[in-house]
Amino acid sequence: MSVGPVAAVRDYFRFVAAIGRSVQREGLSWSASVKAAWDIGVESMPILLVIAGFIGSNLSLQGHAAFAPLGAQRMLGMFVSLAGVRELAPIIAGSMVAAKAGTQMASQLGVMRIQEQLDALEVMAVDPLAHLVAPRLAGIMLALPALVIVATFTMIAAAYAAAVMQLGVGGATFLRFAADGVQPIDFAYGEVKGAVFGAVICTVSCWYGFHCGSGPEGVGRATNQAVVTSAVLCVVLNYLLSEVMYGG
Amino acid sequence: MPLTIPAPEPTPPEAVIEVRGVCRAFGSNEVLKNISVDIPARRTTAIIGPSGTGKSVLLKHIVGLLTPDKGEIRIFGKNIHALPRKELYAVRKRMGMLFQAGALFDSISVGENIGFPLVHHGGGLSEDQIRAKVNEKLELVGMAGFYDRPTAALSGGQRKRVSLARAIVMEPEVVFFDEPNSGLDPITSDTIDQLIRDMKAALGITFVVISHDIVGTVGVADYICVLERGGVAAWGSTADVLKSDHPMVRAFLSRNLDLDGISGNRVPLPTARPQQPT
Amino acid sequence: MSALTQQSLAAVAGFGRFGTFCGQLAIRTVTRPFYPREALAYAGLTAARCLAPVLAVTLPCGMVIALQGLQIFDLYGAQRLLSSLVSVAVLRELSPVMACVLVAAQGGSSCAAELGSMRIKEEIDATEVMGIDALRYHVLPRLLGLTLACPILGTFGALAGLLGGYVTAVMLKGEASGVYLANLWALTQPADLWAGIFKTLVFGFSIGLVATFHGFYARGGAAGVGRAVNETVVRSVLVFVVVNYLLTSALFTDAP
Repeated sequence: MSVGPVAAVRDYFRFVAAIGRSVQREGLSWSASVKAAWDIGVESMPILLVIAGFIGSNLSLQGHAAFAPLGAQRMLGMFVSLAGVRELAPIIAGSMVAAKAGTQMASQLGVMRIQEQLDALEVMAVDPLAHLVAPRLAGIMLALPALVIVATFTMIAAAYAAAVMQLGVGGATFLRFAADGVQPIDFAYGEVKGAVFGAVICTVSCWYGFHCGSGPEGVGRATNQAVVTSAVLCVVLNYLLSEVMYGG
Repeated sequence: MPLTIPAPEPTPPEAVIEVRGVCRAFGSNEVLKNISVDIPARRTTAIIGPSGTGKSVLLKHIVGLLTPDKGEIRIFGKNIHALPRKELYAVRKRMGMLFQAGALFDSISVGENIGFPLVHHGGGLSEDQIRAKVNEKLELVGMAGFYDRPTAALSGGQRKRVSLARAIVMEPEVVFFDEPNSGLDPITSDTIDQLIRDMKAALGITFVVISHDIVGTVGVADYICVLERGGVAAWGSTADVLKSDHPMVRAFLSRNLDLDGISGNRVPLPTARPQQPT
Repeated sequence: MSALTQQSLAAVAGFGRFGTFCGQLAIRTVTRPFYPREALAYAGLTAARCLAPVLAVTLPCGMVIALQGLQIFDLYGAQRLLSSLVSVAVLRELSPVMACVLVAAQGGSSCAAELGSMRIKEEIDATEVMGIDALRYHVLPRLLGLTLACPILGTFGALAGLLGGYVTAVMLKGEASGVYLANLWALTQPADLWAGIFKTLVFGFSIGLVATFHGFYARGGAAGVGRAVNETVVRSVLVFVVVNYLLTSALFTDAP
């Protein structure tokens, strides 16, 4: 559907407001939300573990390479935990969920759009926003923060393994500096980031699915645009949130 | 094939759907131009016309999926585009619609598809009660025993039947058919026409059929509205419309029908078929 | 046959098909006819499509690195190291990885969506029936185009990342511009630039392989196209995260 970008943004906010109104009118099915959260979590988990693991080990290697010339390689643990908890874990979890759950939502709703199933729901007096979108929104806002925690610990564990086995850094030193690098509030901030990213990914992907053009290329395009827009928005929001949380 | 055209009645029943001066453009393309038509209650009305005249668009306006630029549409006396959502949904619960491709949900079984409106609006019916109702409708559309079949495995004609069963499961007062014969081979198309005729006899409720298939339509419709290029070219009882002098109506209708035996005074148009001796 | 066995067999079959696919493409890179114009055109198209998202992502990331870097270095009075940290991070990791994640999301998924719809609408069959080799004409130029587009986009991403770091450090946080710029290249060497470009070539190639494979073998109507896009994005990111780790091990670590 070709609308100018300004009109699209306006329509997106109207869409979000309509979701709110639908939930107010029809309520939210908790069982559907928990099921959505579970599906998103289970679907994203294996990929997330692998990616977080490799990024964690990579982080160790790069951190060591960067700090060794400065003689500061003992502080590797601190570098890893700080970068990991504050920035990388939310972004990795956000990107993975955008790629997996975001495309799934966009393509599922897109197919329903082109096969007139969304129209059929409307004519049967079932609100698709309350019935399809709201449970996914609640579900993703439950699942993403949990995935952020999983990503965090996987990353740090992999970084530890790389540091100890590939770089010869002392394990105890690594962990001591790692603990120094973060405070409990950093984990809380990570959770908030996760929830925000989840809301953005779900609403943006569902919006693209709803406004899908016709035919298989319409679905492909909607899915494509959903991933890119969600990913870009998450990165930009990540900076803004970090500025607010850590800006000082 | 001899067709029985319903005899025109002196006064049509009250209008259940009133379309008044509806205009709608998409960009610079004016699709609906000042359309006004009344759909009588408890009768079957067909809206026909060549492809691209805006029949499906008009239908989407009537069920409230699209909003007209000008004009209004009243169903059961209410202007549906001015209703708040809750009341619009109340009106929609009194209607059913058969979409072109069926619009069934492939992830659930046939029975679950048909029972879907009941589950959401049925007002606390037990699972057994829902099942019983669904099976009743399945029998009505000639698909008894299909409750647990996977929806994705259905043929085109079967999808239409299941879709129709879903459209009538809430005992609606109006049923809309969006091109019921589209995408079907001629034999299946005939069986769907027969199904619609049987449903009409069995239920006696208002039917609105959008179609480009003249033969089937004329066999079932009490009233016909002919759309041409976004406007109404003819509107009235079937018998009257078939006698119309409007050149577009004649050209469109004569393509598939042997009108010589049916119509009275008409302006003869050159046709490819030789005239039958009367 | 249990579900697990079935899934494992399906996975093996998938790998087999992928291997055949790669082999068929390899042969077509060394035999005529070639379609270099199409490949370059696609590289240009991909670069144009992906430029905005890549910049939109690498700029904030550069800003975040500077933001967090400053937080740590403030504790140790080492602010002058900030610019070198930013440049090291941007050139070695940030620009290759983030740029290519976005190329996977935008370019890779467009490619999979295009090939997928062509497959669903039987356009690929039509090409073959007209006597034109579909792999040579539709697939190979896209693969090469995606590969070539990545270093270009990676370079722009690096510039945006560096700019982001500068904006945060100097304009927003009041670090001295002169000090910042003077120390920018303190820890980086020209080799870092080449390593970054090499990484993007490898990443681009893997995105291209995954995207063309999933699009070319899409099945199951419009839903199948959506699935192809989904699998492309996720798997190409997976592949190059693993490859990234291996390359980093090879390029940036001294053998213990």
